[in-house]
Formats: sequence, C-alpha cells, structure tokens
Amino acid sequence: MLEKNAAAATEPLVELKNVFLVSDRGGYVFRDLNLTLEAGRSAVITGVAGSGKTSLVELMIGRRFAECGTVRLFNRELKKGKKRVINRVREKIGGVGGVFGLLPSLTVAENITLPMVISGIRKKIQQERLLKLLSEFSLLKQAGEYPPNLTRVENYLVQFARASIAGQPLIIIDEPSAGLDLKTYQRIFDYLIKISISGRSMIILTSEKPPLEIPQTDHYLLENGTLI
Amino acid sequence: MTRIIFILRELARSLYRHPGTVVTSLLSTSLLILLFNLFWVVVGTSERFYKNLLSEMTMDVFLSEELPDSNLPALTGEIKAIRGVLSVLYISKDMARQDLASQVGTDLLVGYDSLNPLPRSYSLSFESEVLNLSEIAEIAGKIQTLPGVMEVSYSRAWLEKVENTKSIILEIGLVFGLIIFSSALISSANNIRLMTRTRVIGFQQMLLLGAGRMFISLPFFIEGFLIGGLSAVLSWLIIFYGYHRISFTQIEIVIPDMNQVYLFCLATALLGGISGYLGVRKLLK
Repeated sequence: MLEKNAAAATEPLVELKNVFLVSDRGGYVFRDLNLTLEAGRSAVITGVAGSGKTSLVELMIGRRFAECGTVRLFNRELKKGKKRVINRVREKIGGVGGVFGLLPSLTVAENITLPMVISGIRKKIQQERLLKLLSEFSLLKQAGEYPPNLTRVENYLVQFARASIAGQPLIIIDEPSAGLDLKTYQRIFDYLIKISISGRSMIILTSEKPPLEIPQTDHYLLENGTLI
Repeated sequence: MTRIIFILRELARSLYRHPGTVVTSLLSTSLLILLFNLFWVVVGTSERFYKNLLSEMTMDVFLSEELPDSNLPALTGEIKAIRGVLSVLYISKDMARQDLASQVGTDLLVGYDSLNPLPRSYSLSFESEVLNLSEIAEIAGKIQTLPGVMEVSYSRAWLEKVENTKSIILEIGLVFGLIIFSSALISSANNIRLMTRTRVIGFQQMLLLGAGRMFISLPFFIEGFLIGGLSAVLSWLIIFYGYHRISFTQIEIVIPDMNQVYLFCLATALLGGISGYLGVRKLLK
C-alpha cells in the first residue's frame, strides 16, 4: 500500500503525450503536443489568440478528446464516455476564467462552497473555509449577492475563492489578467505566488508573459499546435 | 450546505421561480390523467354491465323421445358434474307447453293433448368464470355427447358479440391509455425542459466542477415526481367527487379499489419523476 502511494506521488499530476487534436473546421489544433506537470510545480503557457489555449483547457477537463495521444490527470486517463473518471478529475481541479464561470442562480457564498457540496464535505468545514476565503478576498459584503450583481473583478475573485476552497491540487487559470486593473492584477499575482509556495500546482494560460515571476514554474510557448 | 439540502434548495428555487409553469404543468397533467381515469371507469363499468348480462345467459338441452324417464336422474347428475354448471332445471313436455302458451299468449297445441310435440329439456345456468365463448362451447360439446341428448342450444351469436365488444373496449382503452400516458410524460418533460432551459449555463458549470448528472437532475426528478403524483391525486379527487354526486340507477358505476388507486398515483409520480429527469438529461449532453 505504501509502495503504491509512493508510486502515485511520483506520478505526474498532468501528462499529455503525443496529443493530436483536430478542430471542427478540419485543421490541426495540436500536433504531437506534450506536457508534463509534476505535483507542486506550475506551468505558464503563453500563446496568441487562437493558438489553442482554451482547447488545451478543454482537453484537461474532459470537455474535448484528442484524436490521438493520451491525456492523463491525477494518474487517470481521460477518455470519451468515462464520465465517472472525468467527474473525479474535475473535482480535483479549480478553474478560473475562460470556460469556467459562476452559477448565476447561486449566491457568492453558495458558488464558493459548491465544490465542497459536490464532494460531500461536512457543513462545518465548508463554513470555516468559506469565512476564511471571503475575508482573504475581501468578499464578506458580497457573500449573499448573486453573480449578475457583481463587478468583473469581484466575479474573478469569487472564482479564485471557489478554485481554492476544496484544496484542489490543480488550478487552471485562463487569462489571469483579462480586463483587470493593475492593482487587482498585482493582488491576483500575489495570490498565485502564495498558491505556488503552498505546494499546489497551477496551469496558467495567458496571451502575454506575466511581468512577475511565480516560483517553481515552467514556461511554455504554445505555437503551431505544440508546446515549445 | 449538505448535498441533500442543496438538492432541496434547487427544487424550491425551481418551483418558486416558475409558479406559472408549475401550475400549468400540474393542471395539464391532471387533465390528461383525468381522461385516462374516466376511461378506466368506463372500462370497469362496461365490464360489470356485460358480466351482469352474461349471468342471465342459459343453455337449453333438448332430450330425445327415446330416453326413458327413469334415466333422467342419472343424466341430470352427469350434467351437474360438468365444471361450471351452476343449476340444472328440468322442463317436462307439459311445462314446455305452458311456457310456449305464456310466450305466445294462446295455447297453440289445443287438440294435441296426447301428441305434445315439444321435447323435454333442461335449462342450464353457469358460474361466472365459465361465461365466455370458448368454455361455453366446450360445455355444450360435452353435453352433446351424452346419451339421450338430442340438441344443445344457446345464444352463441350474442355471446360472440358481447366478447367482441368487450375486447374492442379493452383495445381502445389500451391505445387510449398509451396515448394519454405518453402525452402526460412528454408534456411534463417539456414543461420541465422549459423551466430549465435558462439554467443550461449553470448546469455546464456544475459539470465542470465534477457534479454528476444524477446530482444535477435529482431536483427535477423530485419536481416531476411531485407534479405527477399531485396530478394523479387531483384527478382521482375529481372522479370521486363526481361519483358521489352523480348516481345512476340503471348502470352500476365501477370505481377501481383504493389499493389500485394508490398504486396508480405512485406509478404516475414515478413516471413524472422520469419525465423530469428526461427533461434535464438532454441539456446535460
């Protein structure tokens, strides 16, 4: 059992091997794309608009499936039709931006605690973590608000809080700087650094290379359907 | 918030935000089920009506002139022993003559006192479980082979008509029931789909967080279950109200017994639940 756990610990958190993905229009989105992310490390993937950043996110959350190659997260291979496996993997991922959004029918507090509700974590623990995150992101006043009443920045912060509440080992952030003012951007970046130091992994997809360095991070360029 | 509280809140939200659709769904489903229930009552009532008619059916067994009177007790015993025969009434030549006279209004056999041409006969009645074409024909066949029996007569054509009418009513009932039930199912599923269409984005986000399809659709299963169950109860209340207000003296209206009604309500609630689940399932693809 210990050996099995030790083996699991050394397995990469994310492993994309020789991935080929064809777009709806028939062209290749990815050609022989490879990515390995060890637990505790992070990756910043930079690519221009249309380079396939969102498609890469969709591959990692089991929303799209590669024509060829393997996509493994948390030592589980994501395959079409394996709904249970995909759900278990998604439970371990915190998502911010891009395809990830808030549920308009739930309040801020309910949105943040939703991953814990889905995982069946006890109410007491939910409340403790919720309070901590609401104060950390200065969202205490907005706890009872619904997403349509939030500003863009508040919406983004709520997504960050939701991506962290269940201690998700991997956070995928699509465009962390999108539409944010400098002050909020700096605040978000401080938080990203904090996540990285805490030993959790991140995959940050951005169109511009971040001005600040995040510790334990590898940088990639997404170009011509592959990672450089 | 626990999973169950979340599911119940989602249910309450859905009901609270779409009261018009919920009421419409409840009323339209009630109406469809009411139609089905009415037909159920009609089928049961017609079944009872025909059963009462059939219970009056008799068979005449005419005896040959050669059969001595001393053999009659043995023949009566043999006929009584046949499964399904309820009573055997012996009709002598004189009784037949009196019967004929009472039917026609005058004695047609005046002057034939020593040469009464009417045969002796038995008039048979039957137990209800054999009052169908095949079993009556089988009994007639058995009696026909008994020594001393000249002819067996019963209203075969009438019996055929009764059976045909019964089976037509049953067939129509089945088709009618199927149409109504599928209409109720589709209507309920569509109403729930209408209520949930605006929440597709929310469902997609829940899926991205790892929520299972069952977790997302459970509130709508419960909603469909409630709408289906309540519609069935409402439609039966209307039937019972009408049953106690209206009374026919000539036709006995047959209402299904309460156990059947409870089972029907439960089945309808389950079907409602399934339709609720189906209403959301398409949006989760």
